[in-house]
Amino acid sequence: MSARALTGSRRWLALAGCLVWFAFTLFPLYWAAVTSFKSPIGVVGGATYIPFVDFEPTMTAWYELFSGQRGGFYDTFTASMIVGLSASVAATAIGSMAAYALVRFTFRFRLLSALIFVVVAFGGFLLGRNVMGLGQGIALIYAFIAALALAVISSRFRLPGPELGNKDIVFWFVSQRMFPPIVAAFALYLMYTEVGKLGFKLVDSYIGLTFAYIAFSLPIVIWLMRDFFEALPVEVEEAAMVDNVPTWRIFFGIVLPMSKPGLIATFMITLAFVWNEFLFALFLTNSKWQTLPILVAGQNSQRGDEWWSISAAALVAIIPMMVMAGVLSRLMRSGLLLGAIK
Amino acid sequence: MKKFLLASVSMLAALGAGNAFACDPDYTGVELTATTQTGPYIASALQLAAKGWEEKTCGKVKVVEFPWSELYPKIVTSLTSGEDAFDVIAFAPAWAPDFTDFLSEMPAAMQKGEAWEDIAPVYREQLMVWNGKVLSQTMDGDAHTYSYRIDLFENADNQKAFKDKYGYDLAPPKTWKQYLDIAEFFNQPAKNLWGTAEAFRRGGQQFWFLFSHVAGYTSHPDNPGGMFFDPDTMDAQVNNPGWVRGLEEYIRASKLAPPNALNFSFGEVNAAFAGGQVAESIGWGDTGVIGADPKQSKVAGNVGSASLPGSDEIWNYKTKKWDKFDHVVQTSFMAFGGWQAAVPESSTKKEAAWNYIQYLTSPEVSGQAAITGGTGVNPYRISHTTNLDLWSKIFSPREAKEYLGAQKEAVTAKNIALDMRLPGYFSYTEILEIELSKALAGESTPQQALDSVAEQWNKLTDEFGRDKQLAAYRASMGLPKK
Amino acid sequence: MTRNDPIKHFFIWPALLIVLIISIFPLVYSLTTSFMSMRLVPPTPARFVGFGNYVELLSNPRFWHVAGTTTLIAFLSVGLQYVIGLSVALALNARVPGEGLFRFVFLLPMLVAPVAVALIARQVLNPTMGPLNEFMTFLGFPNLPFLTQTSWALGSIIVVEVWQWTPFVILMLLAGLQTLPEDVYEAAALENASAWQQFRDITFPMLLPVSVAVVFIRLIESYKIIDTVFVMTGGGPGISTETLTLFAYQEGFKKFNLGYTSALSFLFLIVITVIGMVYLAILRPYLEKHK
Repeated sequence: MSARALTGSRRWLALAGCLVWFAFTLFPLYWAAVTSFKSPIGVVGGATYIPFVDFEPTMTAWYELFSGQRGGFYDTFTASMIVGLSASVAATAIGSMAAYALVRFTFRFRLLSALIFVVVAFGGFLLGRNVMGLGQGIALIYAFIAALALAVISSRFRLPGPELGNKDIVFWFVSQRMFPPIVAAFALYLMYTEVGKLGFKLVDSYIGLTFAYIAFSLPIVIWLMRDFFEALPVEVEEAAMVDNVPTWRIFFGIVLPMSKPGLIATFMITLAFVWNEFLFALFLTNSKWQTLPILVAGQNSQRGDEWWSISAAALVAIIPMMVMAGVLSRLMRSGLLLGAIK
Repeated sequence: MKKFLLASVSMLAALGAGNAFACDPDYTGVELTATTQTGPYIASALQLAAKGWEEKTCGKVKVVEFPWSELYPKIVTSLTSGEDAFDVIAFAPAWAPDFTDFLSEMPAAMQKGEAWEDIAPVYREQLMVWNGKVLSQTMDGDAHTYSYRIDLFENADNQKAFKDKYGYDLAPPKTWKQYLDIAEFFNQPAKNLWGTAEAFRRGGQQFWFLFSHVAGYTSHPDNPGGMFFDPDTMDAQVNNPGWVRGLEEYIRASKLAPPNALNFSFGEVNAAFAGGQVAESIGWGDTGVIGADPKQSKVAGNVGSASLPGSDEIWNYKTKKWDKFDHVVQTSFMAFGGWQAAVPESSTKKEAAWNYIQYLTSPEVSGQAAITGGTGVNPYRISHTTNLDLWSKIFSPREAKEYLGAQKEAVTAKNIALDMRLPGYFSYTEILEIELSKALAGESTPQQALDSVAEQWNKLTDEFGRDKQLAAYRASMGLPKK
Repeated sequence: MTRNDPIKHFFIWPALLIVLIISIFPLVYSLTTSFMSMRLVPPTPARFVGFGNYVELLSNPRFWHVAGTTTLIAFLSVGLQYVIGLSVALALNARVPGEGLFRFVFLLPMLVAPVAVALIARQVLNPTMGPLNEFMTFLGFPNLPFLTQTSWALGSIIVVEVWQWTPFVILMLLAGLQTLPEDVYEAAALENASAWQQFRDITFPMLLPVSVAVVFIRLIESYKIIDTVFVMTGGGPGISTETLTLFAYQEGFKKFNLGYTSALSFLFLIVITVIGMVYLAILRPYLEKHK
């Protein structure tokens, strides 16, 4: 549909459809909001909908939540805010850069180089740990450095075998998200513990958690931003290049502003993912950096579904995100920026 | 006058200051990290005790909470990686066999004295002990009991109609057959009333309810420890006729329950009872506490409690016959067992940690926790069940009497069935849960389902090492080594 | 257009390094453990079993059943998400009345933690205390087995997934729609093309790259569904609603059967990679055509 307004019956059809979806979307949230003010009596007797009419509202659930009776609230909230925002900003920035590179430049390397990397890392680790008797952490670090060095050096030579390019790099990035998080979380925990034994405490630390989140958000950022960058008209950049504008100026001064809707959307999605991420938070933190999803999941308790506290916890976790969504959706309106630049 | 006031104030101040310096024992600068499931249950008990302990010893306690289903993996990964993240862990006793290699032993000083003797024997001598060593301290008692609606049972019309239909008086059931009769009688969906409520959902504590049904038929007083496995060969006993009968009745109960019962976890059982939707239920003590609380329940004041129904016929796995008794043998089932507190070997503050646990579970502190709603602490000391006044704050006198009576009988009954505790616990229970939910959905017959469980359990036992599992099983049932 | 400016390395290496560092150890560790039989509890020493775990998994009917269920849920829910998402995005882009408010509210479900969504869904679907049953009874269908019968349970899970993740699709498609150039539409309007024609010949094809990307991401993420199923049905009745990640969770975190779980993770990875590659391969010609 063009950006012009709908007319006639189309308009009302669209409106009707949106209203249905609106009701569907909003009802569970409304239900949660209302339930968070219910006392147990308002829940066990049957469904009740309107405060003061169907049931007597109370602030018990909210009070219990904020007073820390159901898990330390303020600490987890702060942790989520800090980690969420910093990881998303970093991931969006680094990922956009990588996505731009993958769209505008050619990368070529031999499959063999990649294989060399994997084999040396794998083999070196096993060698270091089992044969040379090094600690797991040290073995890993040495193996990694060796593998990287060898792979980079080997790419200078003309090796036999198929050649891989941009598309394969992108696919590799995205494949990181295909790996089921269960074993990855556990393995990462082990890795952090090993490094912790070397002296850098990574478990239950800001760096450890944020770093992991950045690493796992990058694939999404790259995958999504790639399409936005591809959709941008290349002529603008070519014009700038003719004027001898350096690449980084082109990127920051022209490309980024043009792809603002995409950037904002991607940032929001990354933030939503990190904010609600559960498994890594569970394993990589203990008490100092525990995040909100663990608190919310904890409401699914063994002794009973206390609907009121579940609703309160769920809602409180969403409020900062709502604020963010409000701010960002306003920024997205100006998609017409594109035409202006032309 | 002024002088007098001044003097008394300064004297009080001196006393107050004096008290503040009496840290006994002195743990200034020691910070303990205690972990358990997300509150308020158990976690609030830890926090309340923490406040008192901090005042007493000048130490500090930080309580870290994890979601219930993630607590086990979190503790395991922490213990096996040697990390000293936790000084005190509060966990489910079923997990104990997997932790025992990593736990420190309770100081001998804690194992004597009045407070020690006050702990109900079943905990003191069996649940807290593993291979002769006391490795944990019970901080909560758990057994299944029976709850019923006093108003429905004492209604004259109901009593007459019931007697006419079934031939005996309407009263808390002594046998499981009576339990089902009552459920059938009160199953009147048109009046928004159903017979009973139990947990049936996979992952919703369902198998403990099955165990309660089965305990009465398989816990032969002469054959201790024979409920789950043969204590001599470690063959799974789960498909013997006692189990089949228990499962059949469990399935029948699911048909006399509210419509969504197959998705019930214990939480929904409490909600159903407190919402006035069922006439009876079985479960942990929380049903009684929640049901009696006018702030949470529509049936407050009408909550009756009794012991679990029993049976006058018990399966003898040695002779492979049903043994008939001249009286109903009431078997108490220690479902779940009750939260344990322990100190990992890797902790660097073991002495302070055990001191905290001692404070947490002392008669005064735990007694207060037991009557405070929301701590999740159910009675486990004899003293908990004898102080009626404490309980009358939430129960009516009759409710209190019946509730405490049921709780006391549960931990002091002559025939007590212990819950299953084995290394690799989750592997066994997962199989049971899957087959159970199939049987409940009608996709297999009770015998088929249980045969399948037995077969898979035996395979598991072999995979883990039959001798090792046998030794562990015997230890968990309180039987001497072979 | 591709260039060969040395600064390209500066653009890509930070991302490359970060991902490599974090992902290499878990990969190596999982690969090694998948070839061993290793249980943390009860503590048994690890022994090498080669492909034993893989063989055991592939011959385990539970694995195939679980893979099938997960695929069913993933494809159905993503399909619905796309259709609904596209329609809503189109409406929002065409400035349907109330657009600002709609835009904000439609984003909300995505921001709620999946665990919380599932818990709320359980409340809503509860037959005696939840609103949905009241509503359905009012319409004449009392006591539907939303969570207790397999097909209904699967349906409920799919509905919850659609509720939660359609915002993602809406967001991305809307962003995509906003970057479409105006002049093509103006040209089409001059030629008196109908709205449907405009959609079919201009909008949809130009939106294809974004659509493909969005559906792809949604598919891979859907394969990892666990919280919703865990909270709503526990995987039951039996194993009929169990998903791959839930299966891995039980094996890995409850039974700590690490060798088996690692093998499962790799099989899982292979399944998704195959699906991903097939998906991209099928769509490549269309993408090329419209470039």
